[in-house]
Amino acid sequence: MKSLFDDNIQLTAKVLDLRLMRQNIVVSNLANIKTPGYRARRLEFEEKLQAALDLEKNNKITRTNEKHLPVRFNPQKFGPDFFKDFEPRVVQGEDRVDLDKEMAIMAKNTMLYNALTQVLRKNFEGLKLVISEGGK
Amino acid sequence: MDFMTILDIGASALSAERTHLNVISMNLANVNTTQTAEGGPYRRKTVLFKAVPLETPFSREMQTALDRELRGVQVKAVVTDKRPFKRVYDPGHPDADADGYVNYPDINAVEEMANLMTALRTYEANVSAITTAKTMFNKALEIGR
Repeated sequence: MKSLFDDNIQLTAKVLDLRLMRQNIVVSNLANIKTPGYRARRLEFEEKLQAALDLEKNNKITRTNEKHLPVRFNPQKFGPDFFKDFEPRVVQGEDRVDLDKEMAIMAKNTMLYNALTQVLRKNFEGLKLVISEGGK
Repeated sequence: MDFMTILDIGASALSAERTHLNVISMNLANVNTTQTAEGGPYRRKTVLFKAVPLETPFSREMQTALDRELRGVQVKAVVTDKRPFKRVYDPGHPDADADGYVNYPDINAVEEMANLMTALRTYEANVSAITTAKTMFNKALEIGR
């Protein structure tokens, strides 16, 4: 079914949500950088996202006729994996959370988030253009 | 899980670090203090941090499993260091004991400065975390524009 809003808008929205979750977790790690006994937490979703996308591309349902409706990509079908660093570590001092690692994850995450919002914006701009120009 | 959560976590870290800075500057200020209200020389203080869940009774029911893993930070206590006093021979000092020794707090300025830098950098890291969250928020607002 074709609707006004493409599948990829839903997908982008879902990934934006996941990136926000990751940002939350990084900030939580940073806040506890000096808390004794605190272990860094991680959120991973890229692999599952790729798997979900591939599954859709390979079409789980066989289409025997070209006129059959294709399966729509459902962004609700996958979720993130959550990790806690269980590895026991005894380190002298206060460096249980790796500051460099956290800052790098945060920077990467923010940049991708901003890029995705740009993608989403362009999508809507395109829609708007079609609506305004099509009426002329 | 929303943008305000990030700001809450960041703010908890900022206030904890501020308390740490206060305690460090208190230590530095009292390097040579031999008299306190509790009697005796000043004792070095240090802070204990504690990871705390970010939840109100209402949100506890509404949260997802992921949200329950988020932790803010809190200063659990300001504790007194048990290290012994530094004894300096100075018979002319009003606080000198019978042998002519004065008890000074054993505060190492270098150690305090190192702690100060750590607290400062942690503070900065958290400020930049909040700043990036704000950029993300603004970008999200631009979607609808």
